[in-house]
Amino acid sequence: MTDVFDHDALRELVPLYGIGALSGPERKAVEAHLDTCAECAAELRAYAPVGVALAQVAPQVDPPATLRTAILAATRPAQPRARTPTSVMPWLAAAAMLVITAGLGFYVGTLQRRIQTLEGELRAALVRVEDSERRVTVALRAAADAEAPLAVLTAPDVRRIDLAGQAPVAPAASARAFWSRSRGLVITAANLPPLPSGRIYQLWFVAAPAPVSAGLLTPDANGSLTTTLSTPSNVPNPTALAVTIEPEGGVRAPTGAMYLVGAAM
Amino acid sequence: MWLLAALAAIGDAAGAEIDRMIVRRMAGGDHLALGDLYDRHAHLLFSLALRILRERSDAEDVLQEAFSQVWRQAKRFEEGRGTVVGWLVTVTRSRALDRLRQRRAQPGGIENFDRMAEALPDPARALDVHLATSEAAERVRSALAALPDDQRVPLELAYYEGLSQSEIAAKLQTPLGTIKTRMRQALRRLRDALEGGLS
Repeated sequence: MTDVFDHDALRELVPLYGIGALSGPERKAVEAHLDTCAECAAELRAYAPVGVALAQVAPQVDPPATLRTAILAATRPAQPRARTPTSVMPWLAAAAMLVITAGLGFYVGTLQRRIQTLEGELRAALVRVEDSERRVTVALRAAADAEAPLAVLTAPDVRRIDLAGQAPVAPAASARAFWSRSRGLVITAANLPPLPSGRIYQLWFVAAPAPVSAGLLTPDANGSLTTTLSTPSNVPNPTALAVTIEPEGGVRAPTGAMYLVGAAM
Repeated sequence: MWLLAALAAIGDAAGAEIDRMIVRRMAGGDHLALGDLYDRHAHLLFSLALRILRERSDAEDVLQEAFSQVWRQAKRFEEGRGTVVGWLVTVTRSRALDRLRQRRAQPGGIENFDRMAEALPDPARALDVHLATSEAAERVRSALAALPDDQRVPLELAYYEGLSQSEIAAKLQTPLGTIKTRMRQALRRLRDALEGGLS
């Protein structure tokens, strides 16, 4: 046993130390000796590869593929976190907080003003949008109004009917109608006498066995009108169109004087 | 992959320099460098740990511990004191032997007894040598295969089982002085073989 660690005894232990086969007091003695003895240090360098070679003598086996991932995951450095200011004196920290608070207060105030401005702008924008929508609705309606007579005039089954004013009530009046059984009727009239109060003009399809109402007509102050009427598609083939004067709201069958008439054939 | 590790382990100068560069990167906090080091040496270290512990799960745990330690201590690695692979082998072997000793300290059931019996080297069996086909590796293999059993077995008990010379002497029922002499002879032969001399 190596009770006394002289140079020769230690030198004999160096090879074992080189392969990591020493422990306890022997190991400590060799380590201490290596710091001061160049000869033994050189001896150690010669034996170090032997330890590695002995590792290679082991049957070579591949580690599982998952081991690499596990090791890298276990050793991966944590994301750098904000350091806590341990060395900052408390009053300095408090002062800093005050400055930050004041700054935040100012910032909040600025933000509130900005929000109010933006809210105002938003309200104005919404009003403009509403107005625009209204205009669009009106325009669409106008477009639809314009479209309806156009549809009638361009219908493949459209028929033109000229109506003449009847003496003695409306000798100067005249009208022209375009009628399509599928799409409706457009009528333009001029020189219609002003309507007495509580009365209205009513247009009729004159057909067997009885006239069928085509709609009500309201001329302007000059006695003119242009209007589009949607008419029932199941009207019996009319022989003529006629305009009578009737009580306001219209009637089921003509009762008043005939103002305009035109043959439909 | 492990051929590279083998070449570096045997002292290939280029491999050793690559290892040193990797460890310098690790010391600088480059975590990818640890992956590079793993790719170069995990095969060798896993084989060593498995040879010592004989259980794959234990060997995997040891490799985890060893690479974690190497990652933490990269800054402290002194290039003048030896090769990187020598350091890796030392760390891995030390961790594996610690675990082996813990296992031995557990109350021994039949299973434990069997495991220890299995871990003992078989004097009649030639060493398992599966080295890289490099010239140096071939020399090591030849030298080990040429060792007489009475030199090889004490060396195996010391290196793979972590037994002290006194424990080896008791186990083999051989005088301590004889064990010391035989181990020195065995190690000298291996050293000569590595240096290119005749074994």
